[in-house]
Amino acid sequence: MTRQWLWIGACLLAASPALAQQQKIGAPPESSNMKLVGWNDLQARSAYQPTIHKQGNRYIAYIGHHGGTDDVAMPVNPMTGKPENNGTSIVDVTDPAHPKYLRHIPGAPGTYEAGGAQMVRVCDGAQLPKGDKSAVYLLRTFGGEAHEIWNVADPGNPALLARLDGLKDTHKSWWECDTGIAYLVSGAPDWRTRRMTQIYDLSDPAHPVKIRDFGLLGQEPGATGQVPTELHGPISTGPEGNRVYFGYGTNKGGVIQIVDRKKLLEGPKEPTPDNLRAPELGRLLMSAWNGAHTTFPMLKMPIAEFANDKEGKTRDIVMIVDEAILNECNEPRQMIWFADVTIESRPTMISSWTVPEASGHFCERGGRFGSHSSNESMAPVFYKKVAFIAWFNAGVRAIDVRDPYHPKEIGYFIPSITDKTDKRCVKVDGKDRCKTAIQTNNVETDDRGYIYIVDRANTGMHVLELGGTARQVAGLK
Amino acid sequence: MLSRRTIVQTSLAGGMVAALAGFAAFASWFPKPDREEQETGWRRIGWPFPRDAFPAGRAWRRDGTEVYVRPKLGFCGNCETGVVEDSEVDRVSDVDLLDASFVPAGEGRRIQITDLVGRSRVYRIKKDGRDRLAQGIAVSFKCDLIVAVAVGPVDDEAVAKAVRRFLETNTVQVWLNAQLEGK
Repeated sequence: MTRQWLWIGACLLAASPALAQQQKIGAPPESSNMKLVGWNDLQARSAYQPTIHKQGNRYIAYIGHHGGTDDVAMPVNPMTGKPENNGTSIVDVTDPAHPKYLRHIPGAPGTYEAGGAQMVRVCDGAQLPKGDKSAVYLLRTFGGEAHEIWNVADPGNPALLARLDGLKDTHKSWWECDTGIAYLVSGAPDWRTRRMTQIYDLSDPAHPVKIRDFGLLGQEPGATGQVPTELHGPISTGPEGNRVYFGYGTNKGGVIQIVDRKKLLEGPKEPTPDNLRAPELGRLLMSAWNGAHTTFPMLKMPIAEFANDKEGKTRDIVMIVDEAILNECNEPRQMIWFADVTIESRPTMISSWTVPEASGHFCERGGRFGSHSSNESMAPVFYKKVAFIAWFNAGVRAIDVRDPYHPKEIGYFIPSITDKTDKRCVKVDGKDRCKTAIQTNNVETDDRGYIYIVDRANTGMHVLELGGTARQVAGLK
Repeated sequence: MLSRRTIVQTSLAGGMVAALAGFAAFASWFPKPDREEQETGWRRIGWPFPRDAFPAGRAWRRDGTEVYVRPKLGFCGNCETGVVEDSEVDRVSDVDLLDASFVPAGEGRRIQITDLVGRSRVYRIKKDGRDRLAQGIAVSFKCDLIVAVAVGPVDDEAVAKAVRRFLETNTVQVWLNAQLEGK
């Protein structure tokens, strides 16, 4: 009889692998070739973008947050004892094993994407052409209504310097620290889209100077007809590379627009059809089922397979990361793509990669499964060798990108959940069916080779390092 | 080498399968009207648009007016405020499926369909070579959108009202609820 029950139990277990895969509080993290170095709970705030900045002898992590949740709209800041709207966390990660929370700058009221201060970039005044040499400047969003510039030279005592407001949305901006040019993802009130680009000269961050508005033709004020996909974020290669790669879309209708930076900045500025068309060198239209959340350029990459070819030995590659939006796989798979943009007028998709769903039964774990974002640091330690992709309930994935025609995974880390990890729900027969799973939202790296991942479901920030054979790919000892 | 008989039999069988498939396609193009459709006079027609990022919707016709409806899950631009701008109706309401070069005929206005609130706007479009009017409608529930576009004399308040009333019938709402998983 006992044997019979054991047999039935084993069958049930085999038939429901998702049950075995469901994350539980207290269970160890899942990993391969990546290990945990340190952790901070970020006051249990939903995290979006981390930026790691070397500030003198210190390494400081600045983390943007979404707004609070329906259950906890304003988490209490234990340092002040007061409830505060989610904003920006400032954490000293000089000793990555013991991250020290320094300060929380409150953000805009509102829950989830409607509030907080999701985005953050940092530049030294010493590098900016007209900055105060002793200052360190933080550019952040303030909900969907404004961009703000703070002096964080003393990261424990930030001071607000400037504010650009009156917007209908904001998102993932880009800031060139060597020139001060900022590509701010904004919603200008008169444009037909929620997110487009406002270009500012922030070489003196305390005194922003507007250069121009930019977007896809059809998004400009006064246009009629179909409205192209809204912007998600640009990445510039600066004056040296003279290119800006704009990514439009999150999980639908992705467009990658390749733009001549000089023409963009110095060309006629009125948003007329001709002026919007003029700086564009090429564009790649993705499937209607995928968007372009991040467009990460990896230019002049030597491709080993092409080493003996007379032409085309090196290729300009853009890694495109889609963003999964819906919980429990209620949408087409969002993943990463590699485009060869060497011939800019004819960019071509060359490969893609996804976490195998069956490797963790991720569609049944709860929350989102799919890619969201990549590290955006171009520090030599990982650049063009290893890319890290935040994959929501599949944690962070380390991808060997040395041959972008054949990307392959070399490691992963899925953090444990805690009692602070927020639930994610789907409707089943009209009722909420909720599960709790890690939701790794964003990832960034520093020039020492540490990897920082942050959780959308309030689990905090995990500092990681590569281990085993994955270290060899990056050339780490 | 196949015998003549085998070839004839195979051809007949193939023809029957093709005829059945054609009949099934025809039947799905002109589905049997439900009770409410019979009462209201709206007749279901096939969804005429090619595959895109969202699952296909449903379409109905009455007299000279056609209505196309579908949910767009997770696609609301602002989950807190819902649809409050005309430019969002331009972006999401599927009017571009009828004519990518649509031109607004004026300012939009607030609309309520059952308990969902949003905006509607009238556009000038070209359809089948003719100048037509289309009314784009977008209402939201949290981050999900319900969008509709009606083609016909929608500048006539009686027609616009009939469209709105039809969108509130069980014919549309029961189907929408199923698509929204009971949300």
